[in-house]
Amino acid sequence: MTGSRGVAASARQHAPSILVAALSAAFGVSLLQITGALAAVIAADDLTGSSSMVALVLAVLGFVFIAIAVYVGAVVTSNTFATIVAGRTRTIALLRLVGASARSRRRAIAREGLAVGVVGSVLGALLGTAVSAALLAVAVAGGHAPALPYDLAPPVIALPIVAVILTTWLASWVGSRRVLDVSPLQALGGSTELRHEELRGRRGRNAAALVLLVLGALLLAAGIVIGSLNPIGILPAVLGGMLSFSGLVLGAGRVMPPALRAVGRILGSRLLGGGAAARLAALNAVRYPERSTRTTIGLVIGVGLVSMFAVAAATYRQVLGSAFDDPEMAAQLDAVITTTVAIFSALLGFSALIAAVGLVNSLSLSVLQRTRELGLLRALGFTAAQLRRMISVESAQLTAAAVLVGLVVGIFYGWAGAQSLLSSMPGAPAFIVPVVPWQLVLGTAVAAALLTLAATVVPSRRATRVSPVRALASE
Amino acid sequence: MEITTTDLGLVARVANLSKSYGRGDTAVTALDDVSIGIRPHEFTAVMGPSGSGKSTLMHIMAGLDSPSGGRVWLGDTEITTLGDARLTELRRRRVGFVFQSFNLVPTLDVQGNILLPFELDGRRPSPDDRLRIDGLIDALDLRERLRHRPHELSGGQQQRVAIVRALGTRPDLVFADEPTGNLDSRSGREVLGLLRSACRDYGQSIAMVTHDPVAASYADRIVFLADGRVVEDRGPSSAAEISDYMLGMEGAA
Repeated sequence: MTGSRGVAASARQHAPSILVAALSAAFGVSLLQITGALAAVIAADDLTGSSSMVALVLAVLGFVFIAIAVYVGAVVTSNTFATIVAGRTRTIALLRLVGASARSRRRAIAREGLAVGVVGSVLGALLGTAVSAALLAVAVAGGHAPALPYDLAPPVIALPIVAVILTTWLASWVGSRRVLDVSPLQALGGSTELRHEELRGRRGRNAAALVLLVLGALLLAAGIVIGSLNPIGILPAVLGGMLSFSGLVLGAGRVMPPALRAVGRILGSRLLGGGAAARLAALNAVRYPERSTRTTIGLVIGVGLVSMFAVAAATYRQVLGSAFDDPEMAAQLDAVITTTVAIFSALLGFSALIAAVGLVNSLSLSVLQRTRELGLLRALGFTAAQLRRMISVESAQLTAAAVLVGLVVGIFYGWAGAQSLLSSMPGAPAFIVPVVPWQLVLGTAVAAALLTLAATVVPSRRATRVSPVRALASE
Repeated sequence: MEITTTDLGLVARVANLSKSYGRGDTAVTALDDVSIGIRPHEFTAVMGPSGSGKSTLMHIMAGLDSPSGGRVWLGDTEITTLGDARLTELRRRRVGFVFQSFNLVPTLDVQGNILLPFELDGRRPSPDDRLRIDGLIDALDLRERLRHRPHELSGGQQQRVAIVRALGTRPDLVFADEPTGNLDSRSGREVLGLLRSACRDYGQSIAMVTHDPVAASYADRIVFLADGRVVEDRGPSSAAEISDYMLGMEGAA
């Protein structure tokens, strides 16, 4: 990678990672600035003397949301780097052939990751500050907030900025570990596809995932049992939820590929047209199980959290609503819950947005890396329309599997929360039926459709432009 | 009425074909007024040094690339004027391909690769097709490999799968582009023997592009290209004769 063309190419490759880092940093900075401003408003109007407690709760909540967004961003970035490394296998092999060590190549990629983190995080901090300033100005002008001297640069905003830089750097390091597997021989031809990602070193991870899942499930069960006597059951349930969800994320390599295969079977069935395009798409989506898992898990986390809150809140509202006779109080409760759910969904939805950027990018990159294969398919008689169909089915499979798993997991956790918190209430049924709001189902379905479309446009256009000759030209 | 390719006793032909890349001073002429016909049931080799235009000629004849001038027929269909959709359909139904490398779809197993042209066409192989394909699978010793994926096969096995796929639809013409370029000499000879017997035993028409005199010595007819023009068209020759002729070409240039 030398010269201006190399720089341009590497900037293009890293644009999505810079975007992800910028989004995470903007979110973190803006959230802290706004919660800081809220705390200032409350402190200025402190009648109850509880302002410091409220500020603390706001800060803690803010950090939880930031941590989720940064985590999802890191998963996305490490996946992007793994995909970039896979695409550079030939170049890396050539450098290895002329004497570069694998470690030095990996360090070089990690340096790119650090640069991406710094650029993205700083851009994001500026963007986030601009958004906060604009929001506060609008709130003050509209009379919703007092005109206080708001501090938009409290020292605490350094935390998300530094965290995003460090996690992006770490993610590039983790994502580049396949560099070590590239053999110098891979520079010399080879008639089969290069093998990028072998499944290995997963046993320890799967064991840890299983331990977390079992421990989490036990705590969840305990929470539900205790919850039938006392609302305090929610505490072990929350802890169990966190542990088991972490186990699920860690062991996603065992969950997502079967889910992808199942969705692929549905999309590829004769009922929906089937055919070669759909069948190849189904195979492509699980071709590198590890890559597909990392591509989809961010979205699973986002959708899972959003639907957990939506289901828990809707269930809560129904159980409590039936306990109130006074329609005015019920309406008031309704309003509070609706607002809370809206705010939480927006904050958690941000992680889903970051995951979506990753999914779009991952699919585009993997299609671009298949140029020769696309050329072969064109030569053998794939029409441009069949190629487009193949890519859109592949993308639909990834989004649909992620959204479905996210919904199922979210509904379960939402129910578990409601069950452990509410079942001891007088008048509540022993088994609380979870309420799945139709807005949630409709919203995720629409989001999944939009995402599928977004992830299809760029790779389809590039893929159908591939001339069979160029793709088959022997190197 | 125009004389058709069939009237001429040919399976494919090009007339006054030219192809150039780029414009103005940097324009490169790959093919310069080439007219040639491929005869049915024959194994034709197109030879020439690198840059002679032999691959470009094959790509244009197979509908993979478009000419700058001249006309191209596959059977009695003039393909010069066809749009992308019709060309794609033509490749699927009437042409078979064996490339130098990367012949097989990596995600499909051997059987999937062999049946892919049928699947693309949205039809099942007829009982006749099935019988022929089964015969080929046995003859090429791939019966045990049907469930294997391409990366589990040797280079020679991969080329044999590509040959079965190319012959499976009974195409008008099979194009082979340096089919032995990536193989060791033993596997290479085996693949060439298979192509020759496809011609002799099944009457398949084959056009092969190669720069290897040994490969060309398996052909019934050898066409030599140099600098985008046909410079020689001769019958079966030994590898030594072909080598001598090519060395002479180099000397003349």
